[in-house]
Amino acid sequence: MQKITIKKGHNINISGLASREFSNAPTQKFVSISPQDFNYIKPKLLVKEGDQVSLGDALFFDKTNPEVKWPSIASGTISKIVYGERRAVLDIIIEVDEEKEKNIESDKQINLSSKDNVKEFIQKHNFWPFFTQRPFNKVVNPSDSPKCIVVSLADSSPLANDLSFSLAENKEYIISALSNLKKLTDGQLYVAVRGDNFSFLSDYDFINLIQVEGPHPSGNVGVILNRVNPLNQNEVVWTVQGSHLPVLGKLFSKGIIDFSLNICIGGPAVKPSYIKSRIGARFDLYKDSLLMENVRIISGNVLTGKHVDIDGFLGFYHSSFSVIEESYERPFIGWLHPGGKSKYSVFNAYLGSNKKSFDFTTLQNGSNRAFVPIDAWEKVFPMDIYINALARSIEANDIDEMEQLGIYECDEEDVALCSFVCPSKSDVGAIIRKGLDTIYFDK
Amino acid sequence: MNFLRKIFEETGKFVEKGKPLSWAYPVWEAADTIFFSTNKQTSKGPHIRDNMDIKRTMFFVVIALIPCYIFGAYNIGYLNALAMEIERGIVGNTIFGFTYVIPILIATFVAGAICELTFAIIRKHEVNEGFLVSCALIPLTMPPDVPLWQVFIGTSFGIIIGKEIFGGVGTNIFNPALTSRAFMYFAFPTKISGDKVWAVGPDGYSGATALAIPANPVEYDTASNLFAANTQFDYSTLNMFWGLIPGSIGETNKLLILLGAFFLIYCGIASWRIMLSSVLGLVFTALLFNLLNYLTVDGILQAGGFPNAMLTITPLQHILIGSFLFGTVFMATEPVTSSHTNTGRWIYGFLIGVLTVIIRSINPAYPEGVFLAILIMNMFAPLIDYYVVQANIKMRLARNV
Repeated sequence: MQKITIKKGHNINISGLASREFSNAPTQKFVSISPQDFNYIKPKLLVKEGDQVSLGDALFFDKTNPEVKWPSIASGTISKIVYGERRAVLDIIIEVDEEKEKNIESDKQINLSSKDNVKEFIQKHNFWPFFTQRPFNKVVNPSDSPKCIVVSLADSSPLANDLSFSLAENKEYIISALSNLKKLTDGQLYVAVRGDNFSFLSDYDFINLIQVEGPHPSGNVGVILNRVNPLNQNEVVWTVQGSHLPVLGKLFSKGIIDFSLNICIGGPAVKPSYIKSRIGARFDLYKDSLLMENVRIISGNVLTGKHVDIDGFLGFYHSSFSVIEESYERPFIGWLHPGGKSKYSVFNAYLGSNKKSFDFTTLQNGSNRAFVPIDAWEKVFPMDIYINALARSIEANDIDEMEQLGIYECDEEDVALCSFVCPSKSDVGAIIRKGLDTIYFDK
Repeated sequence: MNFLRKIFEETGKFVEKGKPLSWAYPVWEAADTIFFSTNKQTSKGPHIRDNMDIKRTMFFVVIALIPCYIFGAYNIGYLNALAMEIERGIVGNTIFGFTYVIPILIATFVAGAICELTFAIIRKHEVNEGFLVSCALIPLTMPPDVPLWQVFIGTSFGIIIGKEIFGGVGTNIFNPALTSRAFMYFAFPTKISGDKVWAVGPDGYSGATALAIPANPVEYDTASNLFAANTQFDYSTLNMFWGLIPGSIGETNKLLILLGAFFLIYCGIASWRIMLSSVLGLVFTALLFNLLNYLTVDGILQAGGFPNAMLTITPLQHILIGSFLFGTVFMATEPVTSSHTNTGRWIYGFLIGVLTVIIRSINPAYPEGVFLAILIMNMFAPLIDYYVVQANIKMRLARNV
């Protein structure tokens, strides 16, 4: 076991952490998969409204890489396809037919003896979208050979789904998933855990177990990679979401397609809870738990999540909903405020702040200003990358310099805390994404 | 409160896009957000943000300067009473001092606000609070009896040439406050070259500053002896620390400057690396010069220009004399114009310390070298960063085999 300690970073002390027990909730009637959750794809639909689909049937494929198809995450009827601007597909909503799902047969022909067999099996069941790659944080190209595979079971983001609790009943599936992941790479399979969680994994030689310590973003795949096996130019690393391991494990070990997922709901504006649900779950089923009217529902965590409506759906890679208050408050001379419970800052700029868990709202807490480098980003960015210089090279559109400064190692989620602390209220994640886009479309 | 809110909402309608007064929007926005925190919301991730913003950051620097203002005013009154040989008391001295400080402050802020607002309107960007810090710093670097028109011109020059022509806050190369200080130094040398004391006294009142004494001694001696021999002002080490000596308004009391430094470091606004390394640079160079003095004066080496009493100033005296501490704490740490990397900050600060002593001791034309040292290093900061970043790039290339 390897141990890495991250010093730079910050655990945001946000209120609304779910306690480790499941609450009851009705079963999902509608689920959705949104092509918008996948970077750089050009979706071409294979279904239309009213079609009958079964679990795992292909719904659409990527025109730039036709091999990769997206699975239907439920059995039932395509009830609606939501289009946005320029006919971009926003949501493919499926009405769940529980009877049909129960009667679905498992795949009996499981041959996972070699790398190619595993790849074929994934291809057969349209499971490639579960695999994403660094750089670019996009769905993998199945013909690539990754230099290593990383799975983080140590999500450190605020109000994150605690996988040591929500995956507790899935030991054998986790091991099955990991052992087959290992076959996909000639390099290492890194699995990051926190403390003594998932200690049973240390019995398996094929897993390179990494114990991470320290504040967010220590559980991010990018940060772990930067420490144990930095990503260089022209290299590709694959990763899967820790919360998806049981889904993969069930397919690999028993041939069952089962998209159930234990999700967590948290945040200052909601009654926090863990719920047995499924991928692409709809939020309105849980709206009774809201504590106020004016809320912002976020699929994913508060740092990198996606703003969804009350009848919106969980993003494909997300395993939690976060709910915060939409605030329109304008305190009188707020910048002169002495401090106390109503303020939260990583700077020692308010008296007595940060003591208790804090009710964050959607307020930006300041206007956008020119960037003043008072070392705020660097305080919470643990990689050996000069993030300020990198951001400048991106703004200058200098691809060579971006590559030299290590843009391939970064993803939006790794710099989300930089945006959180930035006094100038810059969106560092958007800058990094802009740089990655520039490089991606240049090639 | 509601009444005030209403005023802003009503006046806001006049500066909306498309209205004839829309050019005044930056001015309105500045006033509006001073009174009421912005209700701007996050649009996408991160959906939550820290409560620190640029307004508060800049305001904290101003807070750190307030004690220097108060002591500066008192010191003006104290030195005046000393020169006039009268007794006025602490409050009287402070009030007397403020009659000099406040007009300078007003002249600075009027000039600064005119420049900043004009540029905000022309460039159609929001007013950046950074100019408040520049304007709060400039009076502290001025002699108490400086003519106000000079302050006005100096501030305008600093804000426009030091900042706005480079694109405003965040893109400037030179510290605007120091740019205006340097401009005034060269444009109006009779008032502020720093060899004659800056105290408000009777007509024709004059004397030598602590830096001018070892620079132009009547007869060669060590700096400590020369200070002790000066009867006009108490240039003892302790008194130079407490600051009851002539100088520019904000520089004299070292305790208050140190307090400001700790405050800014504690809040995470100013870089302690720059402060510490510039002191280290100064101590290193001062010790080197002490050694050089020992070697030359005691006859081991013979060279032109020696003996030079400036070489005998001890490191502690160097720290306390003049505006080194003030410059290091409030000017050198200006985040935009200093180095942006931590390694770079160590080098940048160290060289400020080194250059300060070199300019002070070796070049007799400039008794005070701090502001020149910082401006020179402002110029080199991007170069230092370039090499620091190149080292990171080389490390990454070496890894990629």
